[in-house]
Amino acid sequence: MIDAAFALARLGLGARPGEAAGLDPRHWLEAQLAPPPGDDPGVAARLDRARLKIKYNEGDSAKNQKWAAMDEMRPLTTLAQPIDQLWPLFDKEQHDGAERRRPLLEVMAATLIRAAHSDYPLRERMVGFWHDHFNVDAWDQEQVAVALPTYDRDVIRRHALGNFRQFLEAVASSTAMLYYLSNRSSRAGSANENYARELFELHTLGRDAYLNDKYDRWREVPGALDGKPAGYIDQDVYEAARALTGWTVEDGSGIDGHRKLPSTGRFAYVDVWHDGYQKRVLATEFDAFQPAQADGRKVLDLVAHHPATARFICTKLVRRLAADDPPPALVQKAVAAWTKYRDAPDQIARTLRAIATAPEFAASRGRKLRRPVELVVAFVRATGMELTPTEPLFNELANAGQRLYGYPAPTGLADQAEAFLGANAMRRRWLILLALADNNWGTGSIDPPPPLMAATPRQAASFWLQAMLGGADPADTEAIAVAIGQPDQPIGPPGAPDTRKRLARAAAFAAMSPGFQSC
Amino acid sequence: MLTRRAIIGSGLAALLPLPVPGLRHLAFAETGPEKPILIVLHLRGGCDGLNFISPATDPHFIEARASELRVAADGKDAGHALAGGPDAKIDFRLHAAAGGLAELYQSGQLAFIHAAGLTDGTRSHFVATDMIEHGVADAAGLTRTPSGWLARSLHADTHGAVPVISASAAPSNDLAGFGAALAVPDLGGGVAPAGGPQVAEMLRQLYAKGDGKPNAAGRSALATLGLVDARLPRDAKGQVQPYQPDPAAHYEPAQDFARPLKAVAQLIKLDLGLEAATLDLGGWDTHEYQPGRFQQAMAKLSNGVAAFWNDLAPYHDRMILVTVTEFGRRLRSNKSAGTDHGRAGVMAVLGGKVRGGRFYGAWPGLEPEKLDEGVDLAVATDYRRVLTELLEAREGRRLDGVFQGYAYPGGLGLFGDRAAVGRG
Repeated sequence: MIDAAFALARLGLGARPGEAAGLDPRHWLEAQLAPPPGDDPGVAARLDRARLKIKYNEGDSAKNQKWAAMDEMRPLTTLAQPIDQLWPLFDKEQHDGAERRRPLLEVMAATLIRAAHSDYPLRERMVGFWHDHFNVDAWDQEQVAVALPTYDRDVIRRHALGNFRQFLEAVASSTAMLYYLSNRSSRAGSANENYARELFELHTLGRDAYLNDKYDRWREVPGALDGKPAGYIDQDVYEAARALTGWTVEDGSGIDGHRKLPSTGRFAYVDVWHDGYQKRVLATEFDAFQPAQADGRKVLDLVAHHPATARFICTKLVRRLAADDPPPALVQKAVAAWTKYRDAPDQIARTLRAIATAPEFAASRGRKLRRPVELVVAFVRATGMELTPTEPLFNELANAGQRLYGYPAPTGLADQAEAFLGANAMRRRWLILLALADNNWGTGSIDPPPPLMAATPRQAASFWLQAMLGGADPADTEAIAVAIGQPDQPIGPPGAPDTRKRLARAAAFAAMSPGFQSC
Repeated sequence: MLTRRAIIGSGLAALLPLPVPGLRHLAFAETGPEKPILIVLHLRGGCDGLNFISPATDPHFIEARASELRVAADGKDAGHALAGGPDAKIDFRLHAAAGGLAELYQSGQLAFIHAAGLTDGTRSHFVATDMIEHGVADAAGLTRTPSGWLARSLHADTHGAVPVISASAAPSNDLAGFGAALAVPDLGGGVAPAGGPQVAEMLRQLYAKGDGKPNAAGRSALATLGLVDARLPRDAKGQVQPYQPDPAAHYEPAQDFARPLKAVAQLIKLDLGLEAATLDLGGWDTHEYQPGRFQQAMAKLSNGVAAFWNDLAPYHDRMILVTVTEFGRRLRSNKSAGTDHGRAGVMAVLGGKVRGGRFYGAWPGLEPEKLDEGVDLAVATDYRRVLTELLEAREGRRLDGVFQGYAYPGGLGLFGDRAAVGRG
């Protein structure tokens, strides 16, 4: 089993001051794998207190826009709302566009608060993983932005440690995904293949199982004639797209001359838009005219339980938790747990346990780059600062390569170091840490521990390097000390604003070092 | 001449570069040899070549597609007529929103290759993109080829200070394996590390050692960013001045595509030895609502490329810009007013020495028996053929080894009998 410091850094999102001392990693892991539902009290209180600015002009009466000017610090009101309470935001005579972007910004703020302050950081790490895996782009379509609170709450967070087959159906019938991959507008006759293709390639079997040279020659797929095809072909995509026609959103569309869908944003199954005839997916025959949603559910069964899906997702889990190049032995252990607990309600948690307790996992120490959000969160946790999320911070995270809920391609944000190590991305990482320490964006101030107030730059550098990296290299200490001031003179009068500022900067300097970029 | 003394005098000594691994020679001169500049523009998402340039009068095309997903040959929405199409019996029309591209075509600097793409039949964005960026044509090629085709083409012993830029957050995979690719989407406001010379010096020391990925990335960033930043024009107070494009260049006010185009244009003008650049333009994955979305993307492409071209008049004879996309889209439209993943697409080649105003490569036709798997426009021109021709024009000689295992059948004649690009 790994030690406490590594558990907190890699399975959690970074250690808080003093947190690792005396912590039993096995006990900690078990608590992390079965967190109580909902937010812990500390996070819940912070979410209640949180305010995020919203500002826009009065509506243009010439365009029949009826809203008043707005400029306030508003609580995070949309997080708990069901989709049908938010959907009226699409009345464009009543609401400025900023109100339709608001649910997205509130989820972004909540994401950072939870990551920075949760007692269950492994859950937050997994919520991030699944948001990447089942990526939607809420910056592109307003409907996805408005649907984001329910997607985050009722789909991703609810299932993040749960059962994959159930998770998959929650995603397939979510407003956010039905818009993002446009299954909402798919109709019998000439189905839209967007969701079906990414369901196979990105959500379940993975591209290594795409046997595109077979195209429509399904009998040639190894194992197909025994009902166990090794992979999928284009024809499976076409057929799955047909099976999923009729899965749509109550968006007010007309069904026929007399009927139309209500406008609530909720999931709907519309039978007349469903292609009811017989199909064949993954060498399995579907009879014609099955009950409502049965075709789609059968597709989800087939892909969720395919062995390629276990391999693909466990490889991604190991890449996320352990190393960019997943050790095959560790993937195998994860696949064994994933498959064994296929029908368990905590299939994903059991798989994580198999990964976290394997010796190959312990060997991955120091090999995973922190992506920009993890870098910020680990810094916040290490310094014990109280993080107030603000829009400038969101924007700088985007500049560093991580626009939350705004990755355009359905692959989701990359999980390999190279994607975050461009020259400008490095520059932005450094800049964010400095700006947090200087509180340039109203994100909160760092309160250095009182004993540090009388420290010299060298002592301050050594303290923060020790706290963040678990050790202080003398050359690094010297470099940071020189950047703070005269290395062996007191920094300034204890408690003076300038002393505090330099001590906070010393924390940022330590976090800017190469050793803190990975964990 | 920008010398060490001049930099010290300007208070920027802290930004002087350390040696960068992978860069054998850091030329630090005002002007290097006049190297040709290859600009690779990725149209991400699978650009519908049949909506980009429609065989507008082909009855098979009219039969298979909703009218709003075709470029019209007449009427108020008619597209731009293109002389020299790939099939004399068909009126090929360029999308109406591509006025800038139409002018470049008519003035003889822009050429099109229709029905171009991967010979492999993949209809996966991510597999197709990987194959193209690595310069291979099948899955086996991917497993044995870790480097990008553009990286392999930059084999010279010496490079200028900043030979390569990806105008995006991370280097594009066509540059995989090239150690010193600068990834910067934006030069506005300067690119020096925040915190001033003291912090820069601290970073230099913290990153001077260690062979971890962040260590190497930090070293490379500090070196190249310092070089670029030192060249940016400043006002009397030392503030970086905004980039001033040539007055003839009309970049769109919307910044998402203009910003990286301007970053590349400015870097070319800074004379830091740029040899290759990659850019991305997304928005082409039009599974639904294609008419409006495609129109927007096409206007962005056309206006952006035209502005970029007008911004760089003195460099035209040294520039080659090529567009690539992972695949074209299905001939038949779906019921979401969109198109799904298909096969062949369009490539465009722009340059002062390009023999433009015409199409290259065969047109396979849209008769049912000519279609790939009976559904998609077939690939008539291997994308590697086009890229090989561009690379050989750049080098002025035959090239081997960039596209391993590819039997190059010779060029399409994109450069006619004109001299090799940029080398006289």
